[in-house]
Formats: sequence, C-alpha cells, structure tokens
Amino acid sequence: MPEPEGKIQRLLAVIPYVLKNQGVSLDELCEVFGVSRAQIISDLDLIFMCGQPDYTPADLIEVDVDGDRVYIRMADYFARPLRFTSAELSGLYLACEAVRKLSGQPASSALTSAMDKIAGVLEEGSVPQDLIRDSVEFHPPTPWLEIVGDLSRACEQRRVVEMEYYSYGRDEITRRQVHPLSLEFGMGNWYLRAWDGRSREIRVFRVDRIKDMKITSEGFEPPPEEEAEETSRGAYGAAAGGDIEVRLRFSSALARWAEEQPIFSRIEMVRGRLVCTVYTDNLSWLERELLKYGTGVEILSPPELKERLRTRLQGLLSIYE
Amino acid sequence: MNKAERLIDLIAMLLEAQRPVTLERIRHSIPGYGQATMPSFKRMFERDKSELREMGIPILVEPVDAFGEEMGYRIPKEEYYLPEIAFTQEEKVALLLVNRLSSEEFMPLSREAAAALHKLSPDLGDGSRQVQTRSRYLRFAPPRESAEGLTVLWEAAAGRRTVSFVYHSLGKGKGKGKARQREIDPYGLYFERGAWYVVGYCHLRKEIRSFRISRFESAVEPVHSGEEGPDFDRPPDFKLEDYSRVLPWEFEEGAQYEARVLFSPRIAWQVEKDLGDAYRFEPSEDGGGILQVTVRNEDAFLRWVLSFAEDAEVLSPPQLRDSVKERLSLMLGKLGGGGDA
Repeated sequence: MPEPEGKIQRLLAVIPYVLKNQGVSLDELCEVFGVSRAQIISDLDLIFMCGQPDYTPADLIEVDVDGDRVYIRMADYFARPLRFTSAELSGLYLACEAVRKLSGQPASSALTSAMDKIAGVLEEGSVPQDLIRDSVEFHPPTPWLEIVGDLSRACEQRRVVEMEYYSYGRDEITRRQVHPLSLEFGMGNWYLRAWDGRSREIRVFRVDRIKDMKITSEGFEPPPEEEAEETSRGAYGAAAGGDIEVRLRFSSALARWAEEQPIFSRIEMVRGRLVCTVYTDNLSWLERELLKYGTGVEILSPPELKERLRTRLQGLLSIYE
Repeated sequence: MNKAERLIDLIAMLLEAQRPVTLERIRHSIPGYGQATMPSFKRMFERDKSELREMGIPILVEPVDAFGEEMGYRIPKEEYYLPEIAFTQEEKVALLLVNRLSSEEFMPLSREAAAALHKLSPDLGDGSRQVQTRSRYLRFAPPRESAEGLTVLWEAAAGRRTVSFVYHSLGKGKGKGKARQREIDPYGLYFERGAWYVVGYCHLRKEIRSFRISRFESAVEPVHSGEEGPDFDRPPDFKLEDYSRVLPWEFEEGAQYEARVLFSPRIAWQVEKDLGDAYRFEPSEDGGGILQVTVRNEDAFLRWVLSFAEDAEVLSPPQLRDSVKERLSLMLGKLGGGGDA
C-alpha cells in the first residue's frame, strides 16, 4: 500500500497552492502542509528541476524563493490539485463528521454545507456519506454543545463571561467572571481556557460543569500571546497539580482499570502491585474518587486522606441506616 | 536522476499531451528513462505507471491515431483536476478546524484526511491569516488513547471483513480480566468520553459486543486476508446507536432491575444534562432530581453512584441500598482503626 501522502502527492498539492497564492511565505507552506522548512525547501528544489520536454530553461517550471517569499511560474498544467482517492475522501468525510458532531455552532452547520459542496463537485456516488454515518458514531457532550458555540463566539468577540461553575476539585458551586481565551476538546470533554477573575490567573474549566452562563457586553484585552498558548495536558481535570502527594495501591483486579483513569501523574509496579501517584492541592475530590474505587484500593499516603475518607464513609453510612 | 523528478515529469508530459504519447516518445523525452535499455525501461515504466495509478492518477491507454495500430498514454485533465470549490468564510474556518483534528491522528484514516485537506488548500488558502486566527479559538488535544488499528477496523467494518486481535477485557466474570484472542465481525465504531470502541459480533461469546480499542493487546489482522470479501452480513436491524449509547452499568453482567437514585440540587442539573433525554429524571421537592434507571451491572452502577458521595442516595430497591451499606462498611473495615490498614 502506498504512503497516504508521499512526496509526489505533496508536490502536486504544493504547486497549485503557490500558483494561487504567489509570494506565500515559507512558514505558511510549512504550516499548511505540516512539514519542516528543510522539507519544503527540498520540495521546491525538486519542482525547479521538472517541466516539459525538451527540458530547456524555457520548458522548466520556474521556482523563485525571494527571501522568505515563494513564487512559481510556468506550471499551468499543475494549476489544480489531483482529485481525491477514495480513502482520502472517506478520511475527509470521517474527520468532517467528527468535527460536525463534536463541536458546536457555527462550525457544525458550516461543515454540513462544506461537505455538500464537496459532494456537489464530485461525481455522484463517490462520496461515502451513508457508509460513514452507518459505521461511525461520535458521542458529543450534546447538551453542552450550545454552550461551546456561545463560548466560541465570546472568545472571538473578546467578551467577558459570567458563569456559575461547579468545581469538582473543591466540590462547590461558585459565580465567576472570566475572560474566555480558547476552547479545547480533549479526553472526551470540552475545556474552556480563560482568565479567571476570582483567582486572577488563567484557569481551565470543564464546559460540562458550567451550570449557567451569560455573555456580558463588557470587552477585555487578551493577555500577551505567550500566555494564551496551548493548554498543557496536565491542566485537565481536578488533578491540576499541587504540593500534596497522594499514593494509592490498587488490587490486581482494579489495576488495568486504574491505569485508564486520566488523573495519575505516575503509575508504577511496586512488588507486583500497581501504585499510582497524584499531586493535588486539595483532597476533597480524591475522597469521592476513592469512593468510586471501593475496596480495591489502599491509601499509602497521606494519613490525612485516610482520616477524611473514614469520616466521609461514616457520614454516608448514616444516610443508609 | 531522482525518481520523484522522473514521475513529476511523466505526469506533466501526459497531462499536457494533445494526443496519446507513445512509449517510444516517453523513453526519448524523459531524461530518467533515456539511459536504460529497452527491457529495463519497460519494467521501470510499468512500475511508475502502477505507482501513479495507486495515487489515483488516471492514466489512459488509447490508440495514437485513427488507424488504431499504435497505442499511447495520456492523462485526461478533466479526470485529473479537482474542480474548484468556492467555500464561504465560515466553511473555510470549519475546514481548517477539521485540518487540526486530522493532524492529531485520532480518527480512522486521519492521514488520508490530512492529504485530502492539502488538496483543498488552494481553495482554503486566501486570506489565511484571518481564517487561521479565527479557528485558533477551537482546538483538539492530542488523543489520550492510541488510535492504532482504527483505520484497519473501519475499513474492515466498511468492507465487512472479519478481524482478529488480542483483547484484555476488564471485569470479574468468567474469563474476564485477562487477555484472549478474539475474532469479530466489526459492525461499526464509536467514540465516547475520549475513547474509541468497536461493536461487532464476537465469535467467542456468540453475541454482539463492544470492545475498547485501548484494551487491544495486538495489531488488528484480517482473518481471511487471501480471499475476496465480504465475510459477513450486518443484521438488517442492527443500529450502532443501540450499542453505543450504553452506560457502564448497562453492560449485562447479572440480573437487571429498576433503581431510583435521589440527587441533591447541587449536582442534579449536571447528571440530568449529562445522561440526556433517554433517562427518566423527575424533579424532587428540594430542587434536586430523582433518576430512574435499569441496572444490569451492579458493581459499575455503585461505583458511579458513590462517586457523587452525599449528593446521591439510592432510594430503591432495598437490596441495592443494602449493597451500598455493605460496600461502605467493607471500605470502612479495610481502612482499619486509625493505624496502618
């Protein structure tokens, strides 16, 4: 089986892109085609050697890299990219379907019309829409998609958002004013990255824990670029890090399941048993995690967590007496 | 001469040709072929031609003239060129978002999707700065679980091919909690709470089952790779959503029964929204809510209920209340009396 996208396929896409956008920067080409600068330069060098017989200077494709700007001429026969293979078309529709289902408006309806347009220009029957709808399902956090749409508008328009938020870590509902910066889909949930007026720092909020929200008419200035950068992976969930080290030992029956839980920063085997470590700044949420794990887990440290779990268990038992 | 160069020259020549080009002319025109002897040129050309066809390049073989004695090759422009598509600004933003998703390789055929989006790039590229700024607000994080095998599984589901893999199932029942070779007829895939699953007929269990991709312990292999498909028919009444909208406590494990759980006002809104319309949820007097569900897997259900601590109370049936009590007492006993457990 050929590489999904080898050098030839990329070259046949790079040429029409430059022809359409003469003077495009090398950086933009790297970004659009997802390759390194060295790779793009070697691609352009190769294009420069190609052309029509008899390959005199007048027959060759003209490639001009002026500083950072790229120009291509004498390649009109490559003005359009090659059509999709059927695997590419399936892949494209699968990815479109995923984004359509997993993100809110306006992306969802824009994609529906984009997919229709693509199907419209290709021959009938070549687009595997039915096959894809029939064979793949995406479970979006549906009731929250409306909020995702609202929040993405608030990000774009830089408007302050007022919200009621349930903090799982602290087990409390608070009202906050936030400056929404970006939304990220990870681990099956949408997360809002925002500057938080309560803590006066950038925080990550899980969208399904927003009880209520309102976009205010107040605008805000975004923080400097570097601060608004990518969410770090550890920022998800309650385990945002902290000074308290918690070590848990799991029974072999629970070990595999424990490994799938996204909260641990270290997982190791100690004398044949699975020991997981999590760093946190408060224990409240861990008590509830432990209730979920049942008798298959043992608290190695800290002792305070044992005490708190004991009190919690006694309180819970009294509900059922 | 570089092979990529030779192939680009060949495509360029056949695309521009007014009439089919003979083998002889190809050999004399393209520098990469000229040095080869006739037999080795022919082998080279055959390989190049099939490579280009695999990329989807339509190479036709036609008579060179009306006499039809000599054959030649050409690439018809109308079959090669992807027609231009005029996307709106909103559609461009949305497609760039799709581009972000496919670059994370968390989908079946995501590399093919990325290649397709590269082909669309001339239609998305103008005003890229503005477009890219706008799509920056939405991102897809790298997947937590491996998406390996997804492409093979999807293609097997689409082509109705039986596959096998080593699967590590969780749970306590007979044969659970260890890795075994499975053979399944894949009916479809679903993505739920950050994880991918495949649903299919399991030849070992003789029923339709779900498998979490991250619990695969081997590559996915076709079972009848040498033969023509399809290997099976999907039952006409099969609906993927019947299997994919299943919560942990609904995977059959034991007897099933109805349970009622009271949620506090603090958490009820979230549970109700999260479970969606398929579940009966009635408001309680204090502003919370009462959930009524069918439980098939008590262990999974108890884990879920207990994760809400005091914010959830099992109301009925009485034996489920007893199970909660028993579990809590066991946990308390295991904690010991203040010293080391």
